[in-house]
Amino acid sequence: MYLPTYYEFANPGKILSGRYALENIASEFRLLGSSRALVLSDRILEKLGQVKVLTDALVSGGMKVVKVYTDIPADSSIEVVNHIATLYREANADSIVALGGGSVIDTAKGVRMLVSQGGSDLMRFTGMEVLPQGRHVPFAAVPTTSGTGSEATVVAVIKDDERHVKMEFVSQFVLPDLAVLDERFTLSMPAKVTAMTGLDALTHAIEAYSCLQKNPVSQCYATAAIRLIRENLPTCVAKPSDRHARLAMANGSLLAGSAFSNSMVGIVHAIGHSLGGVCRVPHGLAMAILLPHCMRFNLDKCAEDYAEILQYMVAPEDYVAVSASSRAQRCVEAVDDFASSVAQAAGLSLHLSDNGVTKDVFSDVAERAVNDGSLIVNPKATSKEDVLRILEAAF
Amino acid sequence: MMENVLKMLTITRPSMTRRTGNGIKSLVSRVVLFVLYRALKVLACDDRRVASEVATWQEGQSVAIEASLEGPAICFKKESGRIVRCNDHTPVDIRITFRSLDAAFLVLTGQMDVANAYAQHRFMLNGDINKAMSLVRCIDIAESYLFPRIMTKRILKRVEAKEFSALRVYRKVFLGV
Ligand SMILES: [Fe+2]
Repeated sequence: MYLPTYYEFANPGKILSGRYALENIASEFRLLGSSRALVLSDRILEKLGQVKVLTDALVSGGMKVVKVYTDIPADSSIEVVNHIATLYREANADSIVALGGGSVIDTAKGVRMLVSQGGSDLMRFTGMEVLPQGRHVPFAAVPTTSGTGSEATVVAVIKDDERHVKMEFVSQFVLPDLAVLDERFTLSMPAKVTAMTGLDALTHAIEAYSCLQKNPVSQCYATAAIRLIRENLPTCVAKPSDRHARLAMANGSLLAGSAFSNSMVGIVHAIGHSLGGVCRVPHGLAMAILLPHCMRFNLDKCAEDYAEILQYMVAPEDYVAVSASSRAQRCVEAVDDFASSVAQAAGLSLHLSDNGVTKDVFSDVAERAVNDGSLIVNPKATSKEDVLRILEAAF
Repeated sequence: MMENVLKMLTITRPSMTRRTGNGIKSLVSRVVLFVLYRALKVLACDDRRVASEVATWQEGQSVAIEASLEGPAICFKKESGRIVRCNDHTPVDIRITFRSLDAAFLVLTGQMDVANAYAQHRFMLNGDINKAMSLVRCIDIAESYLFPRIMTKRILKRVEAKEFSALRVYRKVFLGV
């Protein structure tokens, strides 16, 4: 097994997974010394009645919900974070519970950062691993999609509206204290969203397993995630109400999130971020489209890792039937087949041309991709021309 | 007799002094940081790839590279399209701070590239990582001139071809002509 000369691993917070997980937040918060929660979510979840499920659980457990804020947009920004931090102080809250997808949880991370550091502008804290802990603000994240893994990552991505760029905040102190996985919230996720977010999680696991920053712990998390995703994502798409499969996907997403939070992601995310920025391709869809093509590109540098990943992508009898020298190649095909079949079942096309992307944006996308921070840990050097070739293949 | 036993049992007092190696590492780091800055300055004019990278930096963009918090540092910025040295300790757009002098030494002596140093959490980065990517590419190219190929082949993901000889870079770095 690969062991780097040096590595670091920030464990995720305490995981509460499964039945009545939600109901246990209150008692966990009590142990952390807090009793007045600010609840963050979005409008849709509020309309679906899911915010009420959460607040009822908190109140029943003896917490006070001092403020509920659901005006978080899909692409949250620095201003939203700064605004919510003010509300937190006005309400005299002492803890944060975030219910939602990546945007809500990342917003909550930003708010927590700002509140614990005691400032009024988040922009002061951009950068990698520069933030001191500050005051501890108990924070629980309850994901409603199974993809971003944000409940277990040290990264918060928040848009700077003024400059139209996404800012990354990386610090071990943005990790939620509690990652709460309750399948009740993911049951209503439509097939398309289930497929896209699930393939995003698979991408996290595969990139974390094979990028320069890989280490034994992140690789364990990544392989567990790959297994959970391979065994359960097709079921979630075909039978959305399958509670076991939903909870398994929530776990797969969390494990993949923790893996990439410590090993980072590579070229798939670099190009995916740019496709999202230039032509608004949803993140998970971009991942699903790009993953097989990027794996082909990285193949010569990642052969050993891909050969290992094959074990978790196919049945044991299929794995032993493949000769050692063809395992890496076979792994890329297995991932390609898996992504295609999940996408097809959900009614998604994995061609850029079918998803509103035209060739005239390729140059802009490639230019942004080579400047994306994710590329730094990609094992293979990537030029603008390389990105253009990948986009061409995915068209 | 008793005295001897006591002597044997006496544990050496824990050393509280800075390692003497640090002085050498600090000196080497100071020199290499200066050479790196000078090389970037030269390449920003002479090497087409570095020139086009620097062209994308906004005017006034400043960079500080610090070989640990208290170690030697270099600070430079883009001014009228060229790279010029600026005063340390001013607020900068990109600040790379190695977490220890030993980590800085690894990178500055060509034993580890920036990507792996990043992967191993060897430095902290203040500022926008997207802007730092261009700087990383420039440093990779500079290293391909400054270090012998036998070293760069081992540490860099891809060794960029030199557009001219390393000697020319060294001459300009030290003699300015
Ligand atoms: Fe992702």
